[in-house]
Amino acid sequence: MADGELLIRNGVVYDPINGVKGEKKDICIRDGKIVESVTNPKVIDAEGRVVMPGGVDIHSHIAGGKVNSGRLMRPEDGRKGLEAKTSVCRLQSGYSVPNTFATGYRYAKMGYTFVMEAAMPPLAARHTHEEMIDIPILDNAALPLIDNNWMTMEYVKSGDMDLLAAYVAWIIKATKGFGVKIVNPGGTEAWAWGKNCDLNDSVPYFDVTPAEIIKGLAEANEKFEMPHSIHVHTNMLGHPGNFEVTKDTYDLVKGVKPSKDRQVMHTTHTQFHSYGGTNWGDFESKADAIAGYINQNDHATIDIGSIILGDTTTMTADGPMEYSLYQITGRKWTNLDVELETGSGITPFLYSGKSPVNTIQWAIGQELALLVKDPWKIALTTDHPNAGPFIGYPIIISMLMSKKRRDESAEDMHKVIFDRAELPSIDREYDLNEIAIITRGMTAKALGLHEHGKGHLGVGADADVAIYDMSPEERDAGKIQKAFLNTKYTIKAGEIVVKDGEVVATPPGRTIFVTPECDQKLTDEMLVTLKDKFDKYYSVTFNNYPVQDAYLPNPYEIKAPMRG
Amino acid sequence: MQTITLKLKDAVRSGIATVPVEVESLTPDQLFGKSEAELKAVKVWWGNREENTGDLFDVSVEGDAASADEVKIVMEGDLTRVKRIGSGMKAGEIEARGDVDMHCGALMEGGRIVVKGNANCWAGREMRGGELIIEGDAGDNLCAMYRGEMKGMTGGKVTVGGDVGECICQYMAGGEILIKGNANRLAGLNMSGGKITIEGDAELFGPDMTGGEIVMNGKVLEMMPSFKFLETATIDGVEYKKYLGDFAMGEKKAKGTLYVK
Amino acid sequence: MVEITDVVCSLCGCVCDDIVLEVENNQVTKIKRGACSVGKSKLLGHERIKSPMIRENGELKECSYDEAIKKAAEILYKSRRPLLYGWSSTVCEADSAGIELAEDIGGVVDNTATVCHGPSVLAIQDVGIPSCTLGEIKNRADLIIYWGANPAQAHANHMKRYSYVSKGYWTAEGKKGKKLVVVDVRKTMTSKMADVFIQVEQGKDYQVFSALRAILRGHEDVVPDKVAGVPKAQLLEVANMVKEAKFGITFFGMGVTQAGARHNNIVNAIQFTRAAHLHGKWSIMPMRGHYNVTGFNQVCTWQTGFPFSVDLSRGYAWYNPGETSSTDLLYREDCDAALIIASDPGAHFPGAALRHLAKIPVIQIDPYANPTTEFADVVIPAAISGIECEGGVYRMDNIPIRLRKILDTDYYVPDEEIVERIHAEVRALREKEGE
Repeated sequence: MADGELLIRNGVVYDPINGVKGEKKDICIRDGKIVESVTNPKVIDAEGRVVMPGGVDIHSHIAGGKVNSGRLMRPEDGRKGLEAKTSVCRLQSGYSVPNTFATGYRYAKMGYTFVMEAAMPPLAARHTHEEMIDIPILDNAALPLIDNNWMTMEYVKSGDMDLLAAYVAWIIKATKGFGVKIVNPGGTEAWAWGKNCDLNDSVPYFDVTPAEIIKGLAEANEKFEMPHSIHVHTNMLGHPGNFEVTKDTYDLVKGVKPSKDRQVMHTTHTQFHSYGGTNWGDFESKADAIAGYINQNDHATIDIGSIILGDTTTMTADGPMEYSLYQITGRKWTNLDVELETGSGITPFLYSGKSPVNTIQWAIGQELALLVKDPWKIALTTDHPNAGPFIGYPIIISMLMSKKRRDESAEDMHKVIFDRAELPSIDREYDLNEIAIITRGMTAKALGLHEHGKGHLGVGADADVAIYDMSPEERDAGKIQKAFLNTKYTIKAGEIVVKDGEVVATPPGRTIFVTPECDQKLTDEMLVTLKDKFDKYYSVTFNNYPVQDAYLPNPYEIKAPMRG
Repeated sequence: MQTITLKLKDAVRSGIATVPVEVESLTPDQLFGKSEAELKAVKVWWGNREENTGDLFDVSVEGDAASADEVKIVMEGDLTRVKRIGSGMKAGEIEARGDVDMHCGALMEGGRIVVKGNANCWAGREMRGGELIIEGDAGDNLCAMYRGEMKGMTGGKVTVGGDVGECICQYMAGGEILIKGNANRLAGLNMSGGKITIEGDAELFGPDMTGGEIVMNGKVLEMMPSFKFLETATIDGVEYKKYLGDFAMGEKKAKGTLYVK
Repeated sequence: MVEITDVVCSLCGCVCDDIVLEVENNQVTKIKRGACSVGKSKLLGHERIKSPMIRENGELKECSYDEAIKKAAEILYKSRRPLLYGWSSTVCEADSAGIELAEDIGGVVDNTATVCHGPSVLAIQDVGIPSCTLGEIKNRADLIIYWGANPAQAHANHMKRYSYVSKGYWTAEGKKGKKLVVVDVRKTMTSKMADVFIQVEQGKDYQVFSALRAILRGHEDVVPDKVAGVPKAQLLEVANMVKEAKFGITFFGMGVTQAGARHNNIVNAIQFTRAAHLHGKWSIMPMRGHYNVTGFNQVCTWQTGFPFSVDLSRGYAWYNPGETSSTDLLYREDCDAALIIASDPGAHFPGAALRHLAKIPVIQIDPYANPTTEFADVVIPAAISGIECEGGVYRMDNIPIRLRKILDTDYYVPDEEIVERIHAEVRALREKEGE
């Protein structure tokens, strides 16, 4: 329950969406919302401390089949994060694949209040929602995978863009999803035969190219007033030389008009897609080329997918990529191909500062953040847990804010960092306003959630607030990292959920879902084809497929009208 | 030298069930420097409740120690439901007078444990160093890894006087172990380093081996079908057939060695 | 009479969801389509436990739900090491409530996987598992291996809906164009249909997998002439079929998980799949029994970090099957009370385990009387999931499906609610003691 009225007094507020850059300011809260004034509030003294809106994570894997497969196959990761239940909290486990309870607590302790689950296989959407119910505190949403679907590929091939839009609308509604997720388009279907696809390859049997799929889905997305653009994991993830593919992918949608004031494409974990060289031997950073493109164009945004050194669990719907990774390491490998839709792979990975390849990868994520000039185009992520677990965010924040820390860290890395990466030569340091942008302002805007109370502290916004136990003048990287790991206070919907770095309340979060409102005639025409797919090829029935309301006990609906 | 004697009270074993007591808090390094009263107040888990050591054990202390190395713990009474004896221990000595329950010497880093009887499963799990002597038999998963880990024993020395169960030394990466009796199937599974010597009989040892060596002095009941005979080799005057494997892992990884009499 | 379509069967791990049946006077009168014979008999219903009961002086006496729930809470609250076992023939919502109860009372929570496919889970923890959904197999598979499994009898719809006999996108001609290999210790109904039947000596599957792996990795030279009773020539024949397949699948059953090297058989089966994957697309899948045995493992994993046999006595999870698994706890006489839900250890546990279970206080929650009822001290009848109440379950390929409610009950209480009410009573007892 919200704590009635709250007054956060004398904090130094960073609220970039409202142009507030480190002003001493009071924040008033009533009934879970930010208000102009309060009459009889409980007062939180934030004198001299940094105050920001609750963090908004644009891309993280926290719930669903592959996350749980990761947990299941890694009891050795589970044992790393064991914490006993308390009078407030359920038990915790895991480091790179924490259990659902730990996921909620640990994000909340970092001041985050919204997390986007970045890949939901439609056929297993119920699973994602079931886990999200068990993630305390955080508001959440999930992006269904729509790009390797037979329906999508067939409509792209036949050029029936209206019917494609009808299918996109139907599947987002059926899965209670948030937007269009694209992961190695065509490549995952090819993986069902053990193959993969580059951007302009023909998908086996379907006779379309990944490029056509991406363009088609971007157009379908913009037929509705969707809060978010298409969200793309481009082809050839993790392959040396893939930066050209990444740039070509951006170019595909340059001419597509967004239905709202935002990007038309968000590409994710860009670190994995900014590689030069032709093999692992001459592998090098091409972060400068990618950042250069983003600097010169306004239609695409990115998140960084920065590496956290150490052991983690990689997981993606990009099945062939996980297979290549497992072949390099020989470690355990799980794969789950999903009929007519998508697939997934999971394998553990150790990022080592002694490895030249990992060192360059480590540099690239930070280079992207430092070379993209406008922070409104870039978000902080680790593609949790792929490049590292989300609890590593404070490490990255401290790196971006401290050239000194970066230099010290570079000394411990493989010396290749001085020849094949640019990081050591970059002097830029982020300020707190820029940190607030890449962790809440930009992400809320790119997701369209700023119109729904997320990512800012304007009157009417959700009363999600993080108070960090640090002065805005703090320059010590270690202290910055510590402050961003455990807040002084985290307030969620007006309720104090973290105090002095400890979770003190665990209200359930809401699930935000989007309803694209498609023309009924188009929908009916599309359903004829779709029902035939169910009759012949799916292993569940059409009527048992959509996610039932029982899986969203705390729903928040955003309607996306169709454009005329 | 200081000797701490802990005798399990009979009452602990008298209920409708024999709920195990877990004693990883009772190692020489953790008890060093404690008075008798402090020692009795050290918590141990008994089922879902934490109890005082003094409530479950008769405690007596003799002599003084200048360091943990000079502390010897003697455990007496019916220890068949006492788990985690010497688990994680770093120094000193534990002598368990009787059969002990699971995880004896698990995660051990230093010091010495002598079990004057049989040890249940998982003894020496993930052992890093020190010495573990089991005078009787040892159960399954002796000196193995924890579930899902890719490293089991990495160091230390283990001797078992009797027979051992299945999957001993799984994912062994270092250290030495001598089995005086027979070994059940899959000894040295996934082994990548270290040495196992088996004096008695064994079957299907070394599957998925990628390194290390197994010396078989007893009768081979069944060989794995995926090892390659290399040559006859002589060790300390004894003639062995030397095999390389496991080729089920592919040629690049088949770097484990078997010496079979 | 009402016809109901898309009914989901709550019997085995196939979770068939296209059943059509008729309901009249709040009773299922006819199964029109979709169910196998075993599924049919469940849907048509059979005799139920009529009332909650508490054992007094050796006799079960009828009582109210409140009385039985209170008694159950007293037993669990007092216990130093309670076992909460079963959870596979109920919905995820009940499993979730059960895990929360176990966490709160410091119990060990475990499901029937412990005596069926638990070894498969242990194997996945060693090497992972390359797999797929059942529809993938239906649409693409051209080589199907059943290893230690006999679906013709145990999962009657499996071959027809998903594998050898089914028709899909690239498999429009059904079994024409597909190959079937069966590996077992004896001839079965399934092996009669096979293109190749490999008869392995009892308990020696492990060696056969290793030999096949060596062949698939190019080292047939090291393999002896006969492995576990199987001639090398036959192994080479199967290895060739594996190499030629475009999309292969191995289904394995309890013939492999519970014999010989047990979980290491499955590790080796998965290693065989990884070696096969060097030549074409290969997957592997356990033939899971109870309709929601997979679901409990899913819920338990996302809530505790571990899939089954989870010891919560310290307030956090300690996972170590062999130590924390139900049968081992019972053999060792480690636990002093048990809650048994949606399962029947009385019929499926070995004698030594049952002797201890008969000695300690046992609470049973189930729609039907079974051998466990014979020694239960508190018996609480439950509504039937998938007939009288709805809820989430996971098919054997981890696909979540929601059971439907098709009949009303004004008496029986769903599992989830029973567990929650017991938990509420436990909390009340704790508060009372705190005062």
